[in-house]
Amino acid sequence: MEIMYLMIFLSLLMAIGFLVAFIWFVRSGQQDDLITPGMRILNEDKKTIN
Amino acid sequence: MMEQPVHTTLTKTSCFHCGEPFVDEIIQFQEKEFCCQGCKNVYELLNDHELGTYYTCDVNPGISPSHQNFDYLNKPAFRDKLIQFSNQEISKVSFNLPSIHCRSCLYLLENLHKLHAGIIKSQLNFGKKDLSIWFKENEISLGELASLLAKIGYEPLLSEESEGKEKKKRLSQQTQLFIKLGVAGFCAGNIMLFSFPEYLGIEDGSLKNLFGYLNLVLGSVALFYSGSDYFKNIWAHLKLKKITIEMPILLGVMVGYSRSVYEILSHTGAGYMDSVSGLLFFLLVGKWFQQKSFDFLSFERKYTSYFPLVITKIIEGIEETAPLSEIKVGDRLRIRNEEIIPADAILMKGKSNMDYSFVTGESEWVPIQSGNLIYAGGKHHGEMIEIEVKKDLQQSHLTQLWEQQAFKDPSLKMENWENFANQVGIYFTIGLITLASIVAAYWIQVDPSKWQNSVVSILVIACPCALAISYPFALGHGVRWLSKFQLYVKDIQALERMGQVDTLVFDKTGTLTLAKSEAPKSHLNRHISEQELDLLYSLSVQSTHPLSRRLCAYTQSLGPRNLVKLSEFKEIPGKGLEAKWGKIILKLGSATFLGIAFNSPQDFYSSESQLFIQIGEEPLGYWDFPWENREGVEFMLRKLQHHYDVYLVSGDKSNHATSLKDWFSEEGHMKFECSPMEKMEFIRELQAKGKKVMMVGDGLNDAGALQQAHVGIAVSDDHLHFTPASDAILQGRSLSRLPEFLQFSKKAITLIKMSFLVSLVYNAIGLSFAVQGNLSPLVAAILMPVNSISMLIIATWGMNIYGKQIKNKLKSYTVQYIAEENHILGKDIKRSLRSICSIPVFF
Repeated sequence: MEIMYLMIFLSLLMAIGFLVAFIWFVRSGQQDDLITPGMRILNEDKKTIN
Repeated sequence: MMEQPVHTTLTKTSCFHCGEPFVDEIIQFQEKEFCCQGCKNVYELLNDHELGTYYTCDVNPGISPSHQNFDYLNKPAFRDKLIQFSNQEISKVSFNLPSIHCRSCLYLLENLHKLHAGIIKSQLNFGKKDLSIWFKENEISLGELASLLAKIGYEPLLSEESEGKEKKKRLSQQTQLFIKLGVAGFCAGNIMLFSFPEYLGIEDGSLKNLFGYLNLVLGSVALFYSGSDYFKNIWAHLKLKKITIEMPILLGVMVGYSRSVYEILSHTGAGYMDSVSGLLFFLLVGKWFQQKSFDFLSFERKYTSYFPLVITKIIEGIEETAPLSEIKVGDRLRIRNEEIIPADAILMKGKSNMDYSFVTGESEWVPIQSGNLIYAGGKHHGEMIEIEVKKDLQQSHLTQLWEQQAFKDPSLKMENWENFANQVGIYFTIGLITLASIVAAYWIQVDPSKWQNSVVSILVIACPCALAISYPFALGHGVRWLSKFQLYVKDIQALERMGQVDTLVFDKTGTLTLAKSEAPKSHLNRHISEQELDLLYSLSVQSTHPLSRRLCAYTQSLGPRNLVKLSEFKEIPGKGLEAKWGKIILKLGSATFLGIAFNSPQDFYSSESQLFIQIGEEPLGYWDFPWENREGVEFMLRKLQHHYDVYLVSGDKSNHATSLKDWFSEEGHMKFECSPMEKMEFIRELQAKGKKVMMVGDGLNDAGALQQAHVGIAVSDDHLHFTPASDAILQGRSLSRLPEFLQFSKKAITLIKMSFLVSLVYNAIGLSFAVQGNLSPLVAAILMPVNSISMLIIATWGMNIYGKQIKNKLKSYTVQYIAEENHILGKDIKRSLRSICSIPVFF
């Protein structure tokens, strides 16, 4: 059953990894603006009107 | 690339750049048609810099540019406030651009670096209408940058508030909450996972202890990190000796937590860590959900936002710009057409037509001669004037309103207001503690080993989380739904207050009535020829008086007009216009101005303004330009009268409201010629009688009343950005739906009460286990999340049904339903910006 301890430790480590990733992306401002990036992707460069 | 056909059809009737219909002239350029030189220039500028894609993202996306000069921003006083970051090379600034409305705006504003080499990068936040720009200050100054934005149609909105510290603080609070929510979710999920052996009854000593310790760590993180705001809140309330709904919740959570710590450390059980952390998670979800905010609106405007940021001082004959705060008594200021008077002053040079509608609500302009006193907040119309400041900004007539209690202490409103959840919280806490002590007393008598267990279970299971969850969810959904109908409510508390209202007070001008855009009623003695219409057009086009503007627009609507050269043009303020065409005298104005005896007919239905006309020696009679009630107002008032006490207060004279008399027939329900202070006092009197008053108003003159009232709703037509401080902002065209909105808020409260009853059923089940002293952690772990989730579902589902009900009701009205809210909002702002900066546009 010793393997259980290792597995619990690893699973907890993974979960903490995701938690850290979550905190990092909230802090870095990825949540601040959810509208503009979706619109930005639709714009492409074209040279003139006609 | 071929132009899309939709453009060619539209260019026939409207400007290629801004999409506005042509008014005076059409400018042809590269086979495109433009309404003004400004629009053409923007087109040319964009085309030269290969930004033509701007026109393909949306139909006629542009905005007529403004020529405002922003050089004053280069002064250190402003620069230091605005620049967020600066090193030797690069500076960063962030502007609020209210005219952003579509994808084309995004395209253009993020390609600013193509327009000027000094701009490195620009990034737009569409929801907040904020543009961050990184630029080299030695190549383009801050003032030039702002002017460039104005030149392409996106004039930055600069006010005292744009310094942005408040906004940043709120943003970081939101981020904090989001992280806390994430951590709580993480802890709750993992604790449940580690509790599985316990749920399944697996007995393994060593693992069980390990899981117990892990749960202890995770649970402590959840409680002391994620739940830290609750501790702070309750501490603050305890200092005020007040009980809130959060108290029994935290009591349950703390008891559950302490019990779990004891059980885990003494190896006697698994404790309630799963229930405790799960509950915290749901509470935080609710808290996060109620934070819906309308970043593009401001509910906290102070009087300073009405004033220009800079004033023009004259020091020894030389003009100098200075910040508003530097006004001192005795200063000489120069005020241009359409500028706001920043302080009480004496008119020294020139003549003015003062528009005090912001301050008094009186819609007519006041002619002022030099030597007369003028008050802060008035909008000057006419040639450039010079004034001498008589009072400090802080002591002005206008700012006195802000010295009132309601403004000084915003918490006043909170104090006088009974929050349903907190009210229940008191009884709940008392009831809970009573029950716990009775049960404890019983078990001490019967079986002393069980009393601790039962008290702990009671306190854990009976936690009123239902209210703490259904309250933010139901009201949060309510705020979201109402925003779809153009009622933007500040927060969920304001929505709850809306549901408690029993008395409504309306302002008149701008709220219930609007200048009617239809053709005036003719009371002319004979038919008027086309040539005579040209004469009237040429005369009225020279004046900025509202009636002249309307006559001008009316003559244009009758057909194409030619400008005729007139001589000896005179405008007599408050009376009328006079000019000569050859030898023929033209007069336009009031009856007394033309020397005509005129008695108002008795059968006036709507309040109207008459414009008399004289061509040559012969008076021709007059046109009635009616002020009319907003669409649907009569219907709305009739509906409201069934359920509410309805009052009218107005700064106008009583004869301007004849058409509304039927709806306020009761004695004392109409009040005229009120100053802003009297309006506020009127609300206070009603409140003293125990009424819950809702004030519906617009301009600055209602600001006091809006603040004093239980709920203040600011009605706004096109200038969404110039509403006074209020609890909610309502689009003018949605005013007639007010009865539905009020009903909706009442239903929301009922829904909360219903869901509270449902949660009591869950509590009863839980308590029946708890009083017997055998509430197993498993039952608690199932019952509590199920309770929370069912509250969430009831709130969401119920509010969506109510929301759809109004939606269907409103569809049956003729009013067109608005799907592309943002676009329309943008167009409105576009128009409003034009009306605010209606100084002629030149490049």
